[in-house]
Amino acid sequence: MNPQRIRFVYAVAILAIFIAFPDASRAQATGAALTGTVTGPSGQAVPGAKISVKDVATGKSTPAQSDAAGAYTVPNLAPGDYEISVSADGFSTTTQKVTVSAGASQTLNVTLTSGLSLESLGFPNSQTQANPQEQARLNRRTHMLKVHQTLGLITTAPMLATVITGTFAGGRVTSSTNRDLHVGLGSLTAGMYFTTAYFAIAAPKIKGEKTRGPIRLHKALAWIHGPGMILTPILGALAYQQKSRGEKVHGIANLHGPVAIVTAGAYGLALLSVSIKF
Amino acid sequence: MHRKILIVLAVLAFSLAAAAQSQWTLQQSTLTYIVTHPLHHIEGVSHAARGKGICQANECEFLIAAPVKSFDSGDSNRDLHMIQAVRGAEYPMVTVRTRIPQSELKPGTIHADLQVQFAGQTADYKQVPFQVTAEGKNLRLTGTIPAKVSDFKITPPSLLTIPIKNDIPVRVDMMWSPAE
Repeated sequence: MNPQRIRFVYAVAILAIFIAFPDASRAQATGAALTGTVTGPSGQAVPGAKISVKDVATGKSTPAQSDAAGAYTVPNLAPGDYEISVSADGFSTTTQKVTVSAGASQTLNVTLTSGLSLESLGFPNSQTQANPQEQARLNRRTHMLKVHQTLGLITTAPMLATVITGTFAGGRVTSSTNRDLHVGLGSLTAGMYFTTAYFAIAAPKIKGEKTRGPIRLHKALAWIHGPGMILTPILGALAYQQKSRGEKVHGIANLHGPVAIVTAGAYGLALLSVSIKF
Repeated sequence: MHRKILIVLAVLAFSLAAAAQSQWTLQQSTLTYIVTHPLHHIEGVSHAARGKGICQANECEFLIAAPVKSFDSGDSNRDLHMIQAVRGAEYPMVTVRTRIPQSELKPGTIHADLQVQFAGQTADYKQVPFQVTAEGKNLRLTGTIPAKVSDFKITPPSLLTIPIKNDIPVRVDMMWSPAE
């Protein structure tokens, strides 16, 4: 066989081998190695960590394991992109990407994070996941109850003034000025009271929340001062009419004063129930 | 020859010891936050914390977590205000992470660096002292985390327009048992 023909046959044979085993040819041609150390969160070596080097292009994985010093080596890697997955008992699995260049050795040190997580503690997802809707409800509730608290505090001033002026508006006193002042203050108190109540009643309710503690007394007292605040002005209007006609306050209108006192007392107690620890 | 065998055995023993892992589990706990206001002294208690510790290479890493909602101050209205103030629906868990050398897990006083995640913020507390006492196989840890409202960027809740104090120490009483 002439030398030219022999060279041609060799060339064809080599080409056939390269076509048949492309990966082998790449590895042989380049043979890059990936080395590194696997350490834990505080820098300690992690021996026995399982390393999987996946060729992104082919999907082929090469396994390796770290030694006693946490070191690992994956030889003969073809140039390209790789996905390195490192796992070890007691640590979370870490995945990193690395590009291997032709011929050059690449170093990839991996720090594993602790395997401790909320899931590993057994908390269900429903308990650990954020609930922005509920936070929005809570924010609205707090805002409305703050307004309730502030208005409630302010309402004590006209309420007290109404009770005090009431002592000059009834009985044998016949001055219409005192009565009108009392009526004016009473009307202001009623207006502020019902506005205050609105902010508590309309505040969003939180699902599954059971009322516990001093707030129960605060709510229970509302069943006294609430109806009292409706009844007091009605009885007051009756008393006012009788007094304006020059009559002595009589009948059910006589209850205006006592009902007002009980109402104001319950209101004051409701205020104290959330302000002072009993 | 014998020397080589000894070296190989020593390396093997070291690698086995390094790979050895032990665990601790939180059996019982009482976490108590303390809030001070001119009109009130409030203590919110949770028994719902869960925790685990993994020891490896002479270091133990611990994670303790409790749902924010699990703290009970004795008043449902106050607890709801607390959850709102600390954004407890958005960040429903309070977690504490710490690393303690395994050799220190014995009766006495230990000083731990704590990383606390709460209300969407992370705060570090250095060298927090804890008393460790042995109860059978178990270890009981007690101490107080010197937390502050400002550490977590929380707007201090107020009552009658007076805000609470910045200090909200958290008393910790935990019983840990080694995992079988």
